[in-house]
Amino acid sequence: MFNLSSLVQKAQQFIDPTLSQTAPSTDRRPSKSTLFRHQFRLPDTQNPLQEITAELTLSSHHSIRSTSDDRDDEDRGQGNRYVGKLHLSEQFLCFSTQGSSFLNTASLSSSSAFTGQTHGAGPAGNGFTLPLCAIRRVERLHSQSYMFALAITTWNGFGEQSKKEGGQKLTIQLAGSRQQCERFCDRLKKGLREGIREVENLRAVASQCYSEYLLSNDPKIKEDSKKQDSKKEAPDTGLGIIFRYPGNPRKLRDGTKMRLWREYLNENGRNATLIRQPTFHKLIRVGLPNRLRGEMWELTSGSFFLRLQKPNQYTETLAKHEGRKSLAIEEIEKDLNRSLPEYPGFQSEEGIGRLRRVLTAYSWTDEEVGYCQAMNIVVAALLIYMSEAQAFSLLSVLCDRLLPGYYSQTMYGTLLDQRVFESLVEKTMPILWDHLVKSDVQLSVVSLPWFLSLYINSMPLIFAFRVLDVFFLEGPKVLFQIGLAILRINGEELLDASDDGTFISVLKSYFARLDESAHPKSENPKLRAVTRFQELMVTAFREFAGITQNTISEQRAKHKDAVLENIENFAKRTSIRNLGPDSKRLSTNDLGFMYDRFYGVLYERQQRAEMFQQEADRRAKAGGTKATRIATDVLYNNSVEMGRVAVGPSPTQMDYDAFREFLAGITRWAVSDSPSSPQDPNAEKQNYSYFGNSMRNRSVTLSPWGAGPEPADHEFMQRLFRRWDVNMNHALSLQDVVTGFAQVKGTKDIMSNISYFFELYDDDGDSKVDREGILRISEALLFLSRRGFENMPSPSASLNSLQPKESADNVGGGRENRDEQILSSISAFIRRCFEYADPDHAVNHSENSSNQLIDTTEKAVDAFSIGDDEDEDDLLSFSSRPSSPKPPTSLDPSQPTTAPPPPSSSLTPKPDKHTANAALDPTKPLYITLPTFRMLILADETLESFFESAFANSFRLADIPSSTPTSTTLTTFANVNAPSRAASAQALSLPQDAAGVAGPAGKGLRGMLDNIVSDGMRVAAEVRRRMEEAQREMDRAAAQGNYDEDEEEERAEADRKSVRDADRDLLEGAETVDVEAGELVGVPVLDGEDGRGKGKENLEKGRRGGGEVVEFER
Amino acid sequence: MADSTGSAAPKPSSSVKLVLLGEAAVGKSSLVMRFVNNDFQENKEPTIGAAFLTQKCNLPTRTIKFEIWDTAGQERFASLAPMYYRNAQAALVVYDITKASSLTKAQHWVAELQRQASPGIVIALVGNKLDLVNAGGAGESEDDTDGVPDEEGDSDARKVPTKTAKAYADEESLLFFETSAKTGLNVAEVFTAIANAIPETQLKGPRGVGGQTTLGSGGQQQDASRVNLAGAGTAGAKEGCAC
Repeated sequence: MFNLSSLVQKAQQFIDPTLSQTAPSTDRRPSKSTLFRHQFRLPDTQNPLQEITAELTLSSHHSIRSTSDDRDDEDRGQGNRYVGKLHLSEQFLCFSTQGSSFLNTASLSSSSAFTGQTHGAGPAGNGFTLPLCAIRRVERLHSQSYMFALAITTWNGFGEQSKKEGGQKLTIQLAGSRQQCERFCDRLKKGLREGIREVENLRAVASQCYSEYLLSNDPKIKEDSKKQDSKKEAPDTGLGIIFRYPGNPRKLRDGTKMRLWREYLNENGRNATLIRQPTFHKLIRVGLPNRLRGEMWELTSGSFFLRLQKPNQYTETLAKHEGRKSLAIEEIEKDLNRSLPEYPGFQSEEGIGRLRRVLTAYSWTDEEVGYCQAMNIVVAALLIYMSEAQAFSLLSVLCDRLLPGYYSQTMYGTLLDQRVFESLVEKTMPILWDHLVKSDVQLSVVSLPWFLSLYINSMPLIFAFRVLDVFFLEGPKVLFQIGLAILRINGEELLDASDDGTFISVLKSYFARLDESAHPKSENPKLRAVTRFQELMVTAFREFAGITQNTISEQRAKHKDAVLENIENFAKRTSIRNLGPDSKRLSTNDLGFMYDRFYGVLYERQQRAEMFQQEADRRAKAGGTKATRIATDVLYNNSVEMGRVAVGPSPTQMDYDAFREFLAGITRWAVSDSPSSPQDPNAEKQNYSYFGNSMRNRSVTLSPWGAGPEPADHEFMQRLFRRWDVNMNHALSLQDVVTGFAQVKGTKDIMSNISYFFELYDDDGDSKVDREGILRISEALLFLSRRGFENMPSPSASLNSLQPKESADNVGGGRENRDEQILSSISAFIRRCFEYADPDHAVNHSENSSNQLIDTTEKAVDAFSIGDDEDEDDLLSFSSRPSSPKPPTSLDPSQPTTAPPPPSSSLTPKPDKHTANAALDPTKPLYITLPTFRMLILADETLESFFESAFANSFRLADIPSSTPTSTTLTTFANVNAPSRAASAQALSLPQDAAGVAGPAGKGLRGMLDNIVSDGMRVAAEVRRRMEEAQREMDRAAAQGNYDEDEEEERAEADRKSVRDADRDLLEGAETVDVEAGELVGVPVLDGEDGRGKGKENLEKGRRGGGEVVEFER
Repeated sequence: MADSTGSAAPKPSSSVKLVLLGEAAVGKSSLVMRFVNNDFQENKEPTIGAAFLTQKCNLPTRTIKFEIWDTAGQERFASLAPMYYRNAQAALVVYDITKASSLTKAQHWVAELQRQASPGIVIALVGNKLDLVNAGGAGESEDDTDGVPDEEGDSDARKVPTKTAKAYADEESLLFFETSAKTGLNVAEVFTAIANAIPETQLKGPRGVGGQTTLGSGGQQQDASRVNLAGAGTAGAKEGCAC
């Protein structure tokens, strides 16, 4: 079952790559911690640690007048008691009358209870959100009964004055078992102790709060603290204090509001210690007074707590990035002069300077968002009421929580909420909606700016700020409620409008008359006094009270995929269109496919990285807080799949590993032969132990390569990567990949394909490829062809002079034959390479002065040649016991007898026979040129067709090349084993038996894979051996001059009889080679002394067995 | 405004949806402002989403009411654009002649429109801020090195030669103008040319010239011949009526 489902999943990914993008979304719903943080507007560092049902008792005048006991009783009678939940996080003690619970056992609805109707309060309801550092004292009240009660005294202002006041006192009765209460208190004690460290922060931040200033100037205390009074300066309450606040303060009844607030704050604490009672919410509904507006925005949105944690973040950010330039800054500069230009503060350097600094600082803290037009308007509005630092942290809360994704690169949040808004209109005002649809008016053309700039440049400023007051308290749903109310109120007129133009002008004129009476003709003076704006607020919050945060979340979840897909399609279209002239050489389908694949790989990689991270986190946390990440409702989509194109600036650059994965998805040769342990053992353990079935999919995605095949890592891929990486930044953009493909696939010209391949190996660009390069080319050819090719014509044997005659007898072999064909073609190619290679004169005629190196090399050569001789003696002794029970594992470096001591450097050669390496034999430095290479390729039909089409076709994009039996060829080597054993043995003397050993039947797919692996490796070893053999022979021929061919042939004749023995011998050798080569996969086999040493040993070993085979073939 | 405004006899009037696209701060809104209000604002608030304005344009034979969608230019707003150019019959793709990158962006927009917008859309390529390079225009341009102001002012400020843009416009069969929203140079001409280039068959409106017919190829050709750049007009038959 498990396997089946994962297979199906895999298949789906191939069918529809986008499916995999949505799959993990179930896993990324907000956790309970997230919900907790959202309810109390806490910073992301907080987690719900303890919670307990409790009753909060407030003495009505805690601050000064709290001494008289009878008053207390009176108040109790008045009902200043709240039943709710008390929550404790690392740094906060929160109480809310909203009974939401974040326990592991809590149900989904109780965890998100606060997202329902809030009745004018914020999600946190009545209660408090106390930073622990603001708590001065906690006393356990001695109570006669079973009651467990705490008296909490908070800091109420700092300095002498507060000492005198004795702070604010509140009493909480915990309702729970003794044990629960004790546990809660223990944790609280710990938190309080840690909280002491933050008192300084609190002092700093609180001193910037206007409430602090306001209360210290309380007329009642004035007499007591005249001195402080005179020296204290009012904190920064925004540009309004300099340039006046918008609106007429008398009409706004600012003074009255201020008095009410002073009274409220006096009794219920200020800034950090504020207690939310119903009056608080009412006071916000009627509009905040100018000078307290900033502070209350901060408190209700929670940005105050951010600032409390990092009071200096704003200035530090600015200082850190001072003088640096960015695209965002460029964009900001363009808009500075055009942000609320009608407000005098933003025609001044002062205002513009503040705006510049806040926007710039934010662009540095979130470079993904950077700067988005509309932010300038929002921040400008905030700055009228707040200091720069306050506006900065409030902007963070806006972008991260309240308006998720609104200002991102793709603005997916904006588009999503427009879709949500449309669906809400459809639901609540079906007639209007039908009308809009019929008259083809697109709602979002009017509503988008409402949401994006929070009504600030749609409504007159004073009204927009009233909306903001409620928005910060109650959350994003307010934007929807107001929007719906606007449409509802103007419904009749809108039904008459039949085009965008009329529609817009109806609303424009409505906004312009918001201050007028809603019922100008009414007899009732009270009714006449109601303004249109008041009417709007009432409609929004009464008629659309049913629009809750929960509604919004549900709708967002519903429309998310469609919206993201739309954006992605747009991005894809745009991106493909802008790929430049090279892309014209590929079909649109191919480009689309490449685009999907490119971003698909990047996205999946990012997902996986995240999963690994989470996994690691969880393991780290495993002991303490248990699984807080239990899935709950999709509430806030700020954790939507990162890396998805539509969501934001996803990575656009592919590193080498990603490139490998990319290739593995479109070519067969790029899939690894030897997948490493496919799963993280830990993940597996978890999978089967306590996570059980619920984590079924996890193990699949936790493989480092995801559900896809593990990519190979071959030098050829590295070279391709380097070649395509035109900017040399070790990463490929889509543009690079497309250009690269255009070069490989976009041309049908064999000549340019050959040159392309040649250039890949012409490292220094001198149009010569040396011995090393030849080896690598042939290795690459082997690597590329090790799974055969689609669409490769079977060359007729007769045309190929080097083709062993025997193969002609086995024409029936079909494809198997073709694979052998490739192998022999490549080996022939190598041989010819060395035949036709030009000697490198540059080295031989080394007259240059800078030739210390060459001199030493030449000395080394002498040493080598001596070594060679001895080597042969050595070999002879080996060959004298070819059938020894223990095979001469000359490849095993651990064998002291044969292991080459790793030569420290080729420049300091010791006369050690083991350092001799024929492949590197510098006696005859040689190279091939492009014309030679071309000639050699064209001389062989197989290779010719490889370069003509097979290589290009090996990349499977959208346009599948004609006639592709994809599935069958994959098992090429496995197939070879059984039926045509003899044929292959004759053609290549490949030790087929070895394959049998490596992949015993019955092991199924795994066995097959092993076969492929070992076959590939064996072939590589074989070719290398052969090639070196050929080289050696040529060397010898050159050295001896009079090479007797007849003699050689006779020897071969003689050896033919024992060829089986030799084969077996080789077989065992080959097996070891497998191991070695397998280990060296990451490093180009020939690179490094080690590889050479082994290669050489291999050669020595092969000389006996394989050497003859070459001749035998002739 | 371009033609005689005294319309005693009721001419057939129809509305045309026109969308402005182009990089941020190239002067899209200013062009519209100049056309609609004959006004210029130095510090224009950036457009959020899109702004909507209307203006009539009187032609000898008919009146065209432009419904102008002025879009936001910042790159990230690009994904909102399809919402605005949907059903547009005309588009003004604006670039800044003092900023080479803005022409590239304009070309992207042209490609997008050609592939995604209504088939018959009339596109005008407009290079704005001519006042910054034309010494004869505003007189306050930073450079006076050029002796011939009325020729293609090859001054320092100009980064996009007229020839380059013109060649591109010809290749893609676009109307082409260089304008200055600040001085008003060529602004009305752009809109008039667009009005002329809209094939009659595409027009809709209260008293629209029967847009239903698909046989009106004769009329179409007439239009096409009047404005020789309206290569797009022939595609109109396919679309029939937009409503």
